[in-house]
Amino acid sequence: MKSSDIVVVGGGVIGCAVAYYAAKRGLQVTLIDQPKRGRATSASAGGLWPLGESIGLGCGVIFYKAQLAKGIVPEGADGPAQLPRSFLDFAMQSNAMFPTLTEELRETGGLDIELERTSLLYLIYDEADEAFARPLWRNCPCGRSLSEWLTPEELARAEPAVTRNVRGALRFNGDDQVNPYRLADAYRAAARALGAELLPYTEVTNVRVEKGRVVAVETAAQRIRCDVVVNAAGAWAPQIARMVGIDLPVQPVRGQIIGTETLPDVLSSCLSTTDCYLAQKRHGEIIIGSTTEEVGFDVGVTRSGIKTLAAGAIRALPFLKQVNVKRVWAGLRPGTPDELPVLGPIESVTGYYNACGHFRTGILNSPLTGLLLAELLSGAPLSFPIEPFLLSRLAPMVPVERLSNHPPQPNRSHAVANGEPS
Amino acid sequence: MTRSPLVIIGGGPAGMAAAIEAARAGLSCALIDEAPGFGGQIYRQIPEAFSVRDASALGKDYRRGEALRAELREHSERVTILPHTTVLGLSPDREIVWAREETAGVIRADQLILATGAHERSVPFPGWTLPGVMTAGGAQRLIKTMQVRPGRRAVVAGTGPLPLVVANQLRTVGTEVVAVLEAGRHPWWPRFLVRAWGEWSILKDAFDYWLGLRRAGIPLRFNHTVFQARGNSSVEAVTYGPIDPATWSPIRERAQQVEVDLVVVGFGLVPNVELTQLAGCDHRYVHEVGGWVPVRTPQMETTVSGVFAAGDGAGVRGALVAIAEGRIAGITAAERAGLLSQAEAHRRRAPFIARLKALLRVRAVLDEMSRLRPGLDELATPETIICRCEEVALAEVEAAIEQGARDLQAVKLFTRLGMGSCQGGNCAPAIGPYICRATGRTPEQVGRINPRLPVKPVTLGALAGMAEIGDGAGDPRGAISGELVP
Repeated sequence: MKSSDIVVVGGGVIGCAVAYYAAKRGLQVTLIDQPKRGRATSASAGGLWPLGESIGLGCGVIFYKAQLAKGIVPEGADGPAQLPRSFLDFAMQSNAMFPTLTEELRETGGLDIELERTSLLYLIYDEADEAFARPLWRNCPCGRSLSEWLTPEELARAEPAVTRNVRGALRFNGDDQVNPYRLADAYRAAARALGAELLPYTEVTNVRVEKGRVVAVETAAQRIRCDVVVNAAGAWAPQIARMVGIDLPVQPVRGQIIGTETLPDVLSSCLSTTDCYLAQKRHGEIIIGSTTEEVGFDVGVTRSGIKTLAAGAIRALPFLKQVNVKRVWAGLRPGTPDELPVLGPIESVTGYYNACGHFRTGILNSPLTGLLLAELLSGAPLSFPIEPFLLSRLAPMVPVERLSNHPPQPNRSHAVANGEPS
Repeated sequence: MTRSPLVIIGGGPAGMAAAIEAARAGLSCALIDEAPGFGGQIYRQIPEAFSVRDASALGKDYRRGEALRAELREHSERVTILPHTTVLGLSPDREIVWAREETAGVIRADQLILATGAHERSVPFPGWTLPGVMTAGGAQRLIKTMQVRPGRRAVVAGTGPLPLVVANQLRTVGTEVVAVLEAGRHPWWPRFLVRAWGEWSILKDAFDYWLGLRRAGIPLRFNHTVFQARGNSSVEAVTYGPIDPATWSPIRERAQQVEVDLVVVGFGLVPNVELTQLAGCDHRYVHEVGGWVPVRTPQMETTVSGVFAAGDGAGVRGALVAIAEGRIAGITAAERAGLLSQAEAHRRRAPFIARLKALLRVRAVLDEMSRLRPGLDELATPETIICRCEEVALAEVEAAIEQGARDLQAVKLFTRLGMGSCQGGNCAPAIGPYICRATGRTPEQVGRINPRLPVKPVTLGALAGMAEIGDGAGDPRGAISGELVP
């Protein structure tokens, strides 16, 4: 029987990041991956927008407007929900890791993740947008230094392709982009170069728990003995969690995306509007996203979704009207009730770790997630407090019917292999 | 118009025949095609800018197309013609998303006949993406609709009748054809003649093509094919040679090179099944007729009630089969709509069902002759591009298989193959069988790439303006009234 210190389940950007950072610390890692249709890594635009995402730009403001149009206004809300400070700090710290990470991954794995300093522009079309943007600018959670108010003239000079039918824009410096597929590939390649073993196209069938401890991970073909399993299965994470008897409140949240044909460089920033976001990637295509829909594991695209995104994109960049669509697809974000990821150990099973629930910021938050998990697993001091992201912050855990033959062991403390982080 | 009792998608031989029979029985229908004129690829209409002085010079396919168009014109009061209209997608409840230039909309069809035709199969070989290498259909289109000579000196390679037809057409526009390379074997053996007995048109067609080459002194080499196209910015030379008669593996030590500026390749056709897939029809893999095809009843109905499939889109068997199938589908749709009694529908279908039987007897022999053999896989080298849209080379596909990819979907996720605008339409038919052989799995296990709306190129402007049913807008007949007569 094979054995490994750590088995990481899920080969999306999070699983690959965990494998990379763990391998970098000299841990013996096996990454098990069964690529699923609609995995979020493949449906990401690759935006690294810690500020934008924290204050509700990107998909948040699109979803808020869609809800308003349906007559659903969240109580007491005058704009999309802002995420807590802990999220912003986490995202800012993760984002700051990218320049070094880019070099590391290039050296270790040989792949370029195409990090580009774009900044994020929030386009202000009307009074409501302005009312939303003013306080963001005045009370930007990380100070005025990173944000900048552009007049229509300034915007036209900075981004000539953007519509002139705007009241201005709010620029967030430091909100940049990468190529999301290359990022996952680069983590994977670097992890392998550091000795991690990859089991691609392999479905995990069971996680064996004995006396409250993880002892093995099973696939159709084999059993891999291990002390630690990391659940990085994205929208499918609850299926893995159920194998150790826990109920993980992660739901697939579909996002539809349009990719255009290859275009010359027309956009130097990423754009966020109340209709859509737009990011031109290094190969010239513009990615237009995204819807926010709870439709289970359906990865289809819809007429209304495509139509809304296309109209929103043309509103922001009028020349897109004549541009051809290359492809429309959809991905399943792993959503959680409070939109924060679920990280770290759990009470009931020793050796089980979550690294999931990254909703729409898995690309951005992958470096710090990977680093934190590697620190947890090797008993090193943590670079960021884990508490706000533990599963226990959410609803009290309800044990579900177990698939393995051992009963759950509640109230057992989650002693980490090499010592509990403080 | 956002609702129609019958929508026929595809205005080639099958679609026109279906419209004729439906209309003859009294069923109104809409006939959609993306081209400006009707006739499909084979019976393509000559653009109006050209005047036809001598119809006989255009060949018998043109005359057959004219005859079908004339028959359709007799029923024009019941057939709404929608040329220049692209179908982007449809749903199992028969809602069709169409686009024309900057407009798009949705039609709901009570019944649907899919006559989507076929596209040319890509066989990747070193140099196949060089300018100057083109498909038989591409060359034909340059000649037929644009009156352009595609090159000065050419080699034509492939299998089946199309390379012969194109070689003759090239000759008429003044291209020197160095050789025609047929991968299959000589067809003039007794079994073929016996099977083809009575189907004079097919026999005579084949004989005419052959005679044309003979008269022009163009050598026709059986069990030969193209190995490599060479050149810097475009084709300057081509390497070709014999292949094993049983496996079609290239025999490289007997290769020869000639200088040409044009390589025309025609390895048969692949049915366009994106729409039958989106409609939710069951499909099966039939290598001889081009790969994945919808499962049908003898009345041409698919496994989705009210959705019919006819012609090359349901299995490549040529225009004559397509016409018979289209007629059968049109009659059955009219029967379903209550316009024909069961007995009358049966009576009307009978001659076409008999004709199909006779035609399929001959086709079976032709199919066997030009059935693609696995040796063609050996033409590509690791550097050869397989997916042109995303520029994925064979080596990347091999790496994915090496790492455990066992089906097309997995290879797609790994390499981005098939993520371009053709949605794998070009690369999947070549690489699917390759994955089968590399992994020892069946086509069913290797699967397909799932199509998604939009299945054809469309602008963001058209999508943004897409009119929904009930919007009170989005009549596909708008702005084309001048072109209604085919």
